[in-house]
Amino acid sequence: MPEPDRDLNRKAIAQALADLADTDRLTLVEVAADGVVTFLLHRDDNGRPHGRSWSATWPDLAGERGWDARTREAVLRTARASSSSADVILVAASSADPRAEQALAWLRAAHPAAQVLRTEAPIAALIREVIADDPLTRSYELVVVLADSAAGRPRLTSRQLFPLGSRPGARTRVALRCEAAGAHGTAFAVVTWQGPKPRLLSVQSAPVAPGRYEVTAELVRPGRVRFTGLPALSPDPRDWDQLVAALPDRPAGGAGPTHLVCAVEVCGADDQVAERLSRARQMISSASGGLGDLLRVSLLAYAAHSYDLSAPEFPVRVAAWETGAGEALNALGALEEQGAVARGYPYHPHAAQLEDMLAVVVERLGRADPTPAVILTVGGRPPHPARTDQSRILPCPHRHDWRKLITALGQRQSTVLGAICDQPADQAHQAWHRIGAAALAHLEAVDVRGLAADLGLVAPSPVHFPFPLLDETE
Amino acid sequence: MQPDPSRERPDHNIAMWGAPGSGKTTLLAALFIALTKRDDDWKIIGSDPASSDYLIEKTNALLRGKLFPEASMALERYHWTLIGPAVRKPGFWGRKAKPGPPARIGIGMIDAPGGLFGTGRRPAGGPSAPDGSGDPRRQELLDNLEQSRGIVFLYDPIREFTFGDAFDHMHAPLTRLAERMLAAGEFADGKLPHHIAVCVTKFDDPRVLETAERRRLLSVDIDDPYRLPRVTSEDARELFHELCQVSASGNADMVLKSLDQFFHPDRIRFFATSSIGFYVDRRTKRFDWDDFQNMVPGEADEDSRIRGRLHPINVVEPMLWLGQRLAAIRPATGVS
Ligand SMILES: Nc1nc2c(ncn2[C@@H]2O[C@H](COP(=O)(O)OP(=O)(O)O)[C@@H](O)[C@H]2O)c(=O)[nH]1
Ligand SMILES: [Mg+2]
Repeated sequence: MPEPDRDLNRKAIAQALADLADTDRLTLVEVAADGVVTFLLHRDDNGRPHGRSWSATWPDLAGERGWDARTREAVLRTARASSSSADVILVAASSADPRAEQALAWLRAAHPAAQVLRTEAPIAALIREVIADDPLTRSYELVVVLADSAAGRPRLTSRQLFPLGSRPGARTRVALRCEAAGAHGTAFAVVTWQGPKPRLLSVQSAPVAPGRYEVTAELVRPGRVRFTGLPALSPDPRDWDQLVAALPDRPAGGAGPTHLVCAVEVCGADDQVAERLSRARQMISSASGGLGDLLRVSLLAYAAHSYDLSAPEFPVRVAAWETGAGEALNALGALEEQGAVARGYPYHPHAAQLEDMLAVVVERLGRADPTPAVILTVGGRPPHPARTDQSRILPCPHRHDWRKLITALGQRQSTVLGAICDQPADQAHQAWHRIGAAALAHLEAVDVRGLAADLGLVAPSPVHFPFPLLDETE
Repeated sequence: MQPDPSRERPDHNIAMWGAPGSGKTTLLAALFIALTKRDDDWKIIGSDPASSDYLIEKTNALLRGKLFPEASMALERYHWTLIGPAVRKPGFWGRKAKPGPPARIGIGMIDAPGGLFGTGRRPAGGPSAPDGSGDPRRQELLDNLEQSRGIVFLYDPIREFTFGDAFDHMHAPLTRLAERMLAAGEFADGKLPHHIAVCVTKFDDPRVLETAERRRLLSVDIDDPYRLPRVTSEDARELFHELCQVSASGNADMVLKSLDQFFHPDRIRFFATSSIGFYVDRRTKRFDWDDFQNMVPGEADEDSRIRGRLHPINVVEPMLWLGQRLAAIRPATGVS
């Protein structure tokens, strides 16, 4: 049966709801054959509409006294709308009952500005429909972890799922990466933003195996997002502060396969070189203890550039690449036996082939391999600049640019830069602060286990990521 | 007296003067090398065997070992003679010019240690009289300057960045020299009779080259196959002025003022000098802005070395300018 009134009424209510500001209330008072039903609509902190209703039958309103003046007050009281409010809609069900006619008259007199709708059927179903179909008044966003930077604490951010105005049924796809997440599993938290602080809309979680996921999010109704492409999710009891507190204060790694690249400067005084090599040995052993077979190790040695064509320099040596820890330690033994190289003229006394070493690492690591990498440089001299500059250190003969190379490593996903420098941090050349962006230790004072933990090579307690990570590989 | 021209008393003397470390020894060795490479007839010869040995030793150091020559404590003892081509004197009444005896210019070298005349902020192990009076080296410096009519003054901009003592080094000796000249009636036009070549040394240092580049003072000789940047003598004064702005003491521009005070403008010329020149890659044979330093620093206990071939810049030019200017003057007589 066609219901032209129903469509008109839906539009009118949807419009009134759309106009509803955050702090306001919308009241619908339905005068039906058997009494008065009041609906109170408002929006919550996330802009999501909610409705409550209550009803009073004619006998409730009239009491035992019968239909008198006090009945009028009872009718107005059950409508509970303040007399001046413009946000009142009166709904009159078609009925021949004189009590209904009387009640409607009282209400109209009390709310002269109110719209009056006519309806054949009870209005409740229509209101529920309008609420369920309400377009979003805030963008819905998924909370994700940003852990791509080479250094520091992972950060939280949000990725938009549904923009303002989205209606139920909308779908969107997100590529996510999940890491080991601890007891509560990975939380899929949807937030809205009002000002600088996010407001939690919903959190659902599940134990999700680490890996990449193509997730589809569907807006079921305002306030309800369904995720598919994941194990079944269930509501998470944690509040926002608890979720944020679960975020680790160090980068990823440690939990899964990790590639440790050790680069050691092998020029300078013999005992200094021996000391650097022994720190590298401790680091490899320490990481191997923590990660076992999950650890792959590469070992590079680099020295100083020669500035005389008749004295060819020792180029960067890759002593081991992606081998097991044992093999790498053997290669390290050979370096220890060899001792310091490239002493005296024509080798530059104040800089080393750090930039050449970085070039080799950047090229060998490639961008495609997603295995988390930790690059640990052990040395003291600064790199050669790409071209003559105020430092007056002679430029790299190959014109490698250490700044660009470090930036390239920093942009590689889950790559962490650590360093052990001959000088304490406050005296180290500025290049060492970048080459040890995640952790810079002093050769004489380094706590190798602590450094390994800082670099995510051994976790004092497993690192957990309470939220998914955005997968930016595509 | 022997017939050997180098042993004869030179027509004129040039005093090479600059703070210790300003590059005198290196300049002298580079001068010898540069003159040897040139086609014209100028040469430099020791005035006695010890001076010849010294020159040969320093030059070899620069050429073979590529080490900077070591500083010498007793430089004043050595003397060299710069011998030019035979001078052609114009004949009377348009008759053909006849070759005359070659020009001979004596070169003496003087360290000007701080404390000798200056404020004594940098003691150089000399006697401690506040103005250094009584130091025999002070007398030697003044005698040398007095007997010379040409001065090569080495101004080391790198030292000036760090110590800023160039003014201390030059002002007092010039004042004393002026006193002597006045007494000898040689202050004719209100200025010293000397010609002075002011050499801004270590032009190859990035800090100096970049200053010149910033001020757009660089040019390249069209027929220089290496395309080495240079500063012409006309622009060298501005470079000097510009470098004075970054002096550590801030009174380097007083150096310029005092030069103008004591020397006639026609008798001052500036040179942007480098004894070692820029590094030029053997294969490309071209100056490269990305890589031009010709010096490899030594380990803590070693001296710096020279990296590639020497390409001395404005090393011969100041000498020849002085040589030509002095040759045009009647040989000094009666100074004995
Ligand atoms: N960059 C550069 N440094 C120079 C040059 N000449 C000399 N030096 C530096 O200055 C130091 C002192 O030079 P030296 O000739 O011994 O100065 P002297 O004490 O005046 O004789 C050398 O060891 C070099 O380090 C030059 O042409 N370029
Ligand atoms: Mg010297």
